[in-house]
Amino acid sequence: MPLSPAKDRFEAPTVTVRVRLFASLREAMGWGEQLVTPAVANPTPLTLWRQLNLTVAWPPGSHSPEGLPGGVRVAINQRFAPADSPLADGDELAFLPPITGG
Amino acid sequence: MAMSWPFYRPSPEAEPRRPTMPSTPGPSHPTHPRVSISLHPDPIAPFLLVEQWQAQVCPHSSDGPAATSLFIGRVRGCTAAGLPLEALELEHYPGMSEWRLEELARACAERHGVQAVLAAHRVGRLPPGEPIVVVAVLADRRGPAQRCCQELLEALKHEAPFWKREWSLGVGTWVAGNTPLGGAGGMGT
Repeated sequence: MPLSPAKDRFEAPTVTVRVRLFASLREAMGWGEQLVTPAVANPTPLTLWRQLNLTVAWPPGSHSPEGLPGGVRVAINQRFAPADSPLADGDELAFLPPITGG
Repeated sequence: MAMSWPFYRPSPEAEPRRPTMPSTPGPSHPTHPRVSISLHPDPIAPFLLVEQWQAQVCPHSSDGPAATSLFIGRVRGCTAAGLPLEALELEHYPGMSEWRLEELARACAERHGVQAVLAAHRVGRLPPGEPIVVVAVLADRRGPAQRCCQELLEALKHEAPFWKREWSLGVGTWVAGNTPLGGAGGMGT
């Protein structure tokens, strides 16, 4: 049986990442959690930060050269990680505003 | 992660099947610190908490570590802006906050060679004056006990995912950052 034209083409596997926001970042964006399909290949926390337009939650000019505002940290699967870490299907990605424990 | 309240996680080293501490610990005894962390949605009774913890990790006081260092942090009565504080709200990242507390406590305990560490943190809404954090350390000597206690407190203020929001006049404001050690201002400790 001949393959359909669609199946002849290479299709990149679909990647879904659970993105979580906390505290001030959650309230500024109006959501705390959503499943996101990255718009680019080889997604990273930084590419998702831009895709989700999270920049609007922070004052202009506060972003570091790496692209995240100073004090915002990234956690992948509940472990701190650099903003340019590769993301895999099923990962839980959290953007953490400045920590104020104790 | 399934979590019951208050969340309580004794370290694997605290399991009964593990070797107990030598009865006459000295500077060269191997360090297997016992780490206990807990998150509390309800008010903490710090001294009762510490008493129970000491009874658990050191049931025979005659052969236990000689030094105990203790820190209790309470909610201040005013905001960082100097307004009267109605309440302080503590948000956390369920799962990550717990393991991060344990990781910080264990690293700190091993670095200072202490025998046991307790870190208890409130979450939820707290009125002024209520305990927000308790850190206690058992060690052979006061130096390691005090240094470990201070270092762990600073670490959990900046390295474990908790967020404070202060409520005043019906308005909630997320705290931008903790004050440095010895600094003034802010509603925490």
